[in-house]
Amino acid sequence: MKSKLKRLLKWELFLFVFLIGELLFFSMLTPGFLNLQNLLFSMNDFAYIGLAAIPMTFVIITGGIDVSVGSIMGLASITIGVLWMGGLNVWIALIIALFICALAGLLNGLIVAFTDVQPLVVTLGTMFLFAGIALVISGGSSATGYEGISGFPNSFVQIANGITFGLPNSMWLMLFILLFFGGLLHLTKYGRNVYLVGINSKAAKYSGIATKWIVLSTYILAGLGGGISGAILTSYFSSARSDLGTQAILPVITAVVLGGTSILGGRGTVLGTAIASIVVGMMNYGLQLSGMPSEQTTIVVGVMLIVAVLMRQIDLSYVKKLFYKKKVPRTKMVIKI
Amino acid sequence: MKSLLTKAIQVRELSIILLMVIYFLFVGSINSEFTSADTIVLLLNGSIILLILAIGQSFVLLTSNIDVSVGSIMGLSAAVCGTLLTSGANLGFVICIVICVGAGIGLINGIGVSYLKVPAIIMTLGMLGVVRGIMLLYTKGMWIEDIPNYYKKFARLEVWSIPLPIWIGALLIFISYLFLSKTKFGRYFYAVGDNADGAELVGLPVNIVKVLAYILSGISASIASLIYVMNIGFVTNQTGSGIELQVIAAAVLGGVSLSGGIGSVVGAGLGAIFFTVINSSLVYMKMPAYWNSAISGLLLLLIVVGDSQFQKRLKRGAHKNLKKLSQKKITLEESEHEKQTKALT
Amino acid sequence: MGDECLLEIKDLHKQFNGNHVLLGVNFALKKGEIYAMVGGNGAGKSTLMKIITGLYKADSGEMLIKRKAVRFSSPSDAHKHGIYLVPQEPLIFPNMTIEENITIGLKGKLKEQRTKILKVIERVRWDIDINQLGLSLSIAEQQLVEILRGLVRDAQILILDEPTSTLTNNEIDSLFDNIKQLSDNGIGIIYITHRFSEIFMLSHSVAVLRDGKISAQGPISEFTYERLLDGLVPADMKLNLLKENKRDSSTLNESKNKFVEQIGKPILKVDSLCGKKFQHISFSVHEGEVLGIAGVVGAGRTEIAEAIYGIEPYESGTIELNGTTIKRLSIKKIINLGMAYVPEDRHAHGIFRITSVRKNITSTLLHRLQGIFISSKEEDTITMKYVDDLKIKTDGTNQELSDLSGGNQQKVVLAKYLATEPKVIILDEPTRGIDASARADIYRIINQLKEKGLAVLLISSDSEEIVELSDRVLVIHEGVIEKEIRKGQISVDSITSAAFGIKKEVLS
Repeated sequence: MKSKLKRLLKWELFLFVFLIGELLFFSMLTPGFLNLQNLLFSMNDFAYIGLAAIPMTFVIITGGIDVSVGSIMGLASITIGVLWMGGLNVWIALIIALFICALAGLLNGLIVAFTDVQPLVVTLGTMFLFAGIALVISGGSSATGYEGISGFPNSFVQIANGITFGLPNSMWLMLFILLFFGGLLHLTKYGRNVYLVGINSKAAKYSGIATKWIVLSTYILAGLGGGISGAILTSYFSSARSDLGTQAILPVITAVVLGGTSILGGRGTVLGTAIASIVVGMMNYGLQLSGMPSEQTTIVVGVMLIVAVLMRQIDLSYVKKLFYKKKVPRTKMVIKI
Repeated sequence: MKSLLTKAIQVRELSIILLMVIYFLFVGSINSEFTSADTIVLLLNGSIILLILAIGQSFVLLTSNIDVSVGSIMGLSAAVCGTLLTSGANLGFVICIVICVGAGIGLINGIGVSYLKVPAIIMTLGMLGVVRGIMLLYTKGMWIEDIPNYYKKFARLEVWSIPLPIWIGALLIFISYLFLSKTKFGRYFYAVGDNADGAELVGLPVNIVKVLAYILSGISASIASLIYVMNIGFVTNQTGSGIELQVIAAAVLGGVSLSGGIGSVVGAGLGAIFFTVINSSLVYMKMPAYWNSAISGLLLLLIVVGDSQFQKRLKRGAHKNLKKLSQKKITLEESEHEKQTKALT
Repeated sequence: MGDECLLEIKDLHKQFNGNHVLLGVNFALKKGEIYAMVGGNGAGKSTLMKIITGLYKADSGEMLIKRKAVRFSSPSDAHKHGIYLVPQEPLIFPNMTIEENITIGLKGKLKEQRTKILKVIERVRWDIDINQLGLSLSIAEQQLVEILRGLVRDAQILILDEPTSTLTNNEIDSLFDNIKQLSDNGIGIIYITHRFSEIFMLSHSVAVLRDGKISAQGPISEFTYERLLDGLVPADMKLNLLKENKRDSSTLNESKNKFVEQIGKPILKVDSLCGKKFQHISFSVHEGEVLGIAGVVGAGRTEIAEAIYGIEPYESGTIELNGTTIKRLSIKKIINLGMAYVPEDRHAHGIFRITSVRKNITSTLLHRLQGIFISSKEEDTITMKYVDDLKIKTDGTNQELSDLSGGNQQKVVLAKYLATEPKVIILDEPTRGIDASARADIYRIINQLKEKGLAVLLISSDSEEIVELSDRVLVIHEGVIEKEIRKGQISVDSITSAAFGIKKEVLS
């Protein structure tokens, strides 16, 4: 337990320290950055990353990937908008939108689990498909995608913009998602199965674990994550657009990988993803505040992604040497005829 | 006859042409304008950019990797091309620089994937963001217009009434095909994708091949950008954005396997043309524009899933033949081997 | 066989991270000589070969090719000096033709290469169509292609790594003819194998590698089975092994004397099972019985086991477990019905390498634990029970599995399946690649399982192990049950002869 905890804390600790470093760095660039009030509210800006990244962690732990999450965000957004515009209660629209996103995840999961096609390719295809469907929904209702649907009721807008007990709602939401999915992954039997499938899916099969269903379920979760994330962004901007999430895939995957989840599967924590989401989000936010246009922050995030993966590779072997003494088994041979 | 047909289907390139012709005639029956000579030339012209990108992507796919940064590379190259042209630089110089941009980014991708062992999707996804950002930094977010007319005229330059871009595309397919199938080094791409361990054991320079594949992909994006600027006449913020999926779709459609080792640039080119045909046909069939994405996405999914099931069936067929052969070899008589074993013990 | 020395190795040393694999190897290969190399797992065979073929570099020592000192930095270096390794698992490009498979990486014009290939094929008199695709070749044919690769590269030294493990008898005949031909043509051959009969049939000389050194070598005429065995296992170790086994069997005899030997009702009945690699398999296993399943590698035993367990489909036949007919059930259901299968390949199918002992052992049981949350207390109780019972050497239940020795890893896999409290357990090569003391432990465990009334199917390529543990033996040969041997007639000879398909028993 001690050694595992050590390794765990080492990465999350590093991320936390990095976050502090970020804050200090930006406070030098922009005066008044370290205002606590502002910082807390800045979370509204990038909560969407964590909300999508945390469920995505499940997918990547099983060794897969879902690049369609951005399109699912747009799908959620436009569904809420169109249904509400059509007269439906905004909360019911929200629930229906989440349900549709879960279905989208189900489609991803079905194809990945039951055919040989690589998850990357499947989700590249569905990325296109879902974006297209979102476009059809917006086009079909003659709401131009350019302006987006707006004028949502205040109660809805308050989800992403309001305060409860002195803290911004997005923060509470993030906390809830962190606890819920964290508990799901680290404390339940289901979560354990997700890990086992990711570590060695063949051994999982031999052990009686229903690997295909586990894999499928992770994509449904990722779809839901996309839906929640899209709904929050819609509330934040008070505008429903079908192209809401097109730029989202990069920060979301960066958050998961930076958070310590191995792209090869079998390793990762929800806490790591959560902290990394804040790190990435804060990076975006801080750069924008200091004058960099949002499109250019993608350079930084892109670099962060590559560096994060590189660091994991070096870090793992270094950590191993530091914490474990390799046992050298002296194997004697067997007489075989 | 049946075996001839199955053999024909197995030659992927022929089956694409067959499918394309069938689809063509089908759409033509709905809207006769579709099958006119003008439309065909228009379609070919419109598919050139995708075709050139698909050729480059094929190199990467053959080595069992992927490159999703091509759209951003095309965008940056187009921006560089545009700014250099508008500032009056010499044409040869411009072409050189633009190609260097593509090659350089390809080199970075290649080094990351083969020497630093970063998974291809991560490396090229990261670079997608980085390069797009560099492009926006470079253009300061503004569109590039006022491309000199002499350059835009190239798009309409015709030799034997075939426009220049089509000639460039054809030339690239021809050169790539010769390189990949007729030269020794070209075969290495297939080997690396087919069995990387085997390639290493036989002494092939696996890492160099992988890096070269990415460089070629980057160069193809640059060349595509040259054509883009020629055709469209201006460069926007979003130039190239999102095209990577269509490129992969085109290559897969053309028979280039995502797991590496199978496929040809000819197939990829045909796939690009077919993909463009499908996209354009939707307009001719009076489908509203916003259905395009959804249908293309659906088609890609069907193609990719269908392709993998098809490959599975091919493999099973090969193994069935294998079983028959090996069963013939098991005889009932005592073999020499057994006699000797008996004699020993 | 000439006198010219093709390859000389002097005092070769190699270590990995403090693990000394080669401790001073001395070896020489003459022109046209067939040199057999024997050694157990971990003895250093593959490391030695990898150094000779340029994949690794030796730490110290010399390697001479035709009296010239060389040091290889890559396989192509080795190729240039005329050395070629035919790997145990041929590395063929499935989507390329045989011709392309052979010529890729070679210098020179394609036409010249083709003529050369055809000449070589003619010289060795093989019947092979160079336009066939790699994926349509059998393993035997793939091996031939690998050999061709070496010959076309003008290899003077061919290294064959366990070439017969996946071949049929006729293919082995062919191969041996070809090897003798190559040797007649002056090519030096290093032949790695664990099959004594092949050594005596084929080679001119033999070397036994043990613990990083050559413990015995010389012309084959100076060797017998016993001397080879001595080289592989030091005399005192063998005695210890025998002593320990005797000790266990004496306690077993004691308990046998106390209780009447209980072999109960049949728990598993298999009737006329047919599949891709096996035909008409019928047998039953009883409570408290150890049924040994013997045969050479590739005979089809694992395929039969995986079909019974439900991993692979089968074509026809019935399987009855504890009275219930099972057909196309999920693995979880089969485990719940009381069957467990300890896989042959523990690395690929058995262990979860990068996680803890605890999580490995409970991986089969999660659905039986209470509630949706995992109680670490419950987990620990189960884990500790099996760590104690099976004497798993570990720093604690949280130690990562990759840190455990092979033997302890195997015990963990055993533990996780025993934790499901099965009625039938299939053990597929349970002691492959593990050290002697762990092996003794596992033998003890198997006997305990028997006493508890479990039915045990023991699949093993180690005839002595089968003799030691089984109440009854089925010998599988090329997918069919060649022979059933009852208690009292179980011996290494009877097993071996049946495994090779020899009808009559040979008395020694």
